[in-house]
Amino acid sequence: MSGPVKYICFGLGQEEFGIPLLTVKEVLAIPDITPVPQTPPHFLGIINLRGNVISIMDLRAKFGIKFSTTEETTVIILDFGDYQLGVVVDRVDAVLSLNPDQISNKPHIESSKSTDYISGVYRQEQKLILILDIAKALSVEDRNMATRKAADKAA
Amino acid sequence: MDDFEQELKVGFLDEALQSATEVETCFLELEKDPNGDENINRIFRHVHNLKGSARAVGFEEFADFTHQFENFILKVKSKEIKPTSVVVSILLKGNDQIVLMINELKSDMNARFEFRQLLEEMKNYNETSPASEHIIEELSNKFSNENKAQDELSPEEMLALYEQQEAEKAAEHNNFVQPVELAPAPVTTAATSAVSNSSPANKQVSEETLRVGLTKIETLINSIGEMVILQGVLRELVVDAENLFLKKTVHQLRKVGKEIQDISMSLRMVAIKPTFQKMQRIVRDTSQSLSKEIQLEMIGEETEIDKTVLEKINDPLVHLIRNAVDHGVETTEKRIAAGKSPAGHIKLSAQNLAGKMVIEIKDDGGGMDPERLKKKAIEKGLIKPNNTLTDKEALNLIFAPGFSTKELVTDVSGRGVGMDVVRTNISELGGEIIIESAVGKGSTFRIILPLTLAIVDAMVVTYTSNKFVIPLSQMLETLSPTKDMVQKNTDLGETLMLRGQNLPLIRMGDFFGLKSSTPTEGMIALVISAGQSTVALLVDDILGQYEVVVKQLSPELESIKGISGTTILGDGKPALIIDPIELIKRKTTAGYNPSTIKLDTTKNDKKDNQKMGSAA
Repeated sequence: MSGPVKYICFGLGQEEFGIPLLTVKEVLAIPDITPVPQTPPHFLGIINLRGNVISIMDLRAKFGIKFSTTEETTVIILDFGDYQLGVVVDRVDAVLSLNPDQISNKPHIESSKSTDYISGVYRQEQKLILILDIAKALSVEDRNMATRKAADKAA
Repeated sequence: MDDFEQELKVGFLDEALQSATEVETCFLELEKDPNGDENINRIFRHVHNLKGSARAVGFEEFADFTHQFENFILKVKSKEIKPTSVVVSILLKGNDQIVLMINELKSDMNARFEFRQLLEEMKNYNETSPASEHIIEELSNKFSNENKAQDELSPEEMLALYEQQEAEKAAEHNNFVQPVELAPAPVTTAATSAVSNSSPANKQVSEETLRVGLTKIETLINSIGEMVILQGVLRELVVDAENLFLKKTVHQLRKVGKEIQDISMSLRMVAIKPTFQKMQRIVRDTSQSLSKEIQLEMIGEETEIDKTVLEKINDPLVHLIRNAVDHGVETTEKRIAAGKSPAGHIKLSAQNLAGKMVIEIKDDGGGMDPERLKKKAIEKGLIKPNNTLTDKEALNLIFAPGFSTKELVTDVSGRGVGMDVVRTNISELGGEIIIESAVGKGSTFRIILPLTLAIVDAMVVTYTSNKFVIPLSQMLETLSPTKDMVQKNTDLGETLMLRGQNLPLIRMGDFFGLKSSTPTEGMIALVISAGQSTVALLVDDILGQYEVVVKQLSPELESIKGISGTTILGDGKPALIIDPIELIKRKTTAGYNPSTIKLDTTKNDKKDNQKMGSAA
């Protein structure tokens, strides 16, 4: 793939992240969220988005980043084609247009934490922006979480 | 392939499939009434149209096959070949081949096919084959000299004649497939309906129809649902308003909105006819393989039901119909010995009753003996020998997992997976199944289904500060338990004494890790029938009873057990719809054994699942 790709950049605590703009459906202020029992803590619940029920995840809780809810706190609605999902972030900063060669591979770090969902890194002056594979970051693990939790309860 | 060509092909395949499904009845009618020209004419038109259209959109192989098939049909049409059951079987195989090709082409536009063998069979079929000789003689005696003029024409001449007639008609309707008729047929038997539909374009003025994708309709229904909710909010807002005109407008808007919602819901409704027609074929094939003679009577084919309900009811119906043919109707010898007519009779009917769809499968076979069922269940260890089951309860034993009354496992039915799956499928749709049976007289299976899955009648309840939605369909009653009704027992937990029955008392929050501080006496008990058991589910409060629009669970929520969907409440907030049966199952699988459970399903569940797995 060549040519620049647009990324939406958002902040979680002190850290900056970016995801392809094409996966974003819209950006909202925090709506009323109905909690869903038996889900992991980062699963905040469901919202009504113009007649569609959409699940909301808290990326800050998921990545273990300290957070506080302010006026800047925002929900990004992601569109994965067959379903939609919302993620809560601390703030949305900018939309960047990046060429593939501007994104470098993620540094290899020995860590117990899985970094599979980080697909690359972009250095902007003093800041480091982590480019996320958001589908990977959310779907696989979270579906399993919900299943495991339910199974635990049943047993 | 450009878009236009693609579109043409897709359109052709859609219409071809519909035509193939509709015409299937004609083959079966042809067998019953070999003299009727209407049926063979309709079959011919169907295949002839397919041939032309297939060639036009560029499906060459499809066109080749239909061309050869047409030639064979022409021979039947010209009475060169008599429509014996062997011939009808070949004709049906031809139509099956067409359906197969359509489906293959749908997934791959360049699919190739192998149909030489079937064509050989058609080509080599001749009247003198020993199996059919006798029947032909018999039939030819019956044949009068009607249609003599056509008889004398060669197939080629007839084709020419037909094409000429068609060209004349083409001015009237230039559809390449016979227009689809949704004629409001009165209550008819299969035989008469096929005749009355034979040339609908000439007899009835049809309403113009439009094909619309299901997703478009669903989006529309969703938006309308949202609009209705917003209207609710608006209505709340104008309660205190002083502007009378504003109030009046909002009131009228609500009326119009309700009307639009009703119409949008009816868009999803389709006639049950295609499903019934499939059953006709199944009865034919099944009864033939069992060498039983069976008449199928169908009533109320035009009854409309939600498309999603219809899709899900297909498998249970197939199963029940097969069962009726295999287990229900006795062999011809047995029937004669019992003084019944040699041919068995199965009645398949559908009707709307009090906002529900009622489907009945009624056979005039041997019926089911409650005593035998009990004996069998004891043998299988499903019930205790000292049980006190009533006859009605005994009949329901056939729904227990791993219960099959016929010793002989046949190809047709009796693989041991049967009836429990049927019942599960039906209750998943929010419906129920009732059996009536009289020994020697036959059995009736009555399926009661909601007309739509998109809207359910439900109760909105609270537990702690959370709102939950529970469908009314499984709810028997609600009550506030008094102190003397509730009993605490260390082994069974809390139980509720209701009219002499001990019901297990379960707090809804226990399933969701929610703790309510309200004492049991201050809560409200919902009495819920969950399959074979009845339990009382405790909630904090009931907010009201509403019609809610059901929304599918998104994939990340699907795995949570006990939740069947979501909905948006009047305040615009989403809420979870609880599936109480699933919820309670979770509790019972945890070793909970409520005293009211008569069948010890908890113990057998696992075993039967394994059995089913290995049999499948």
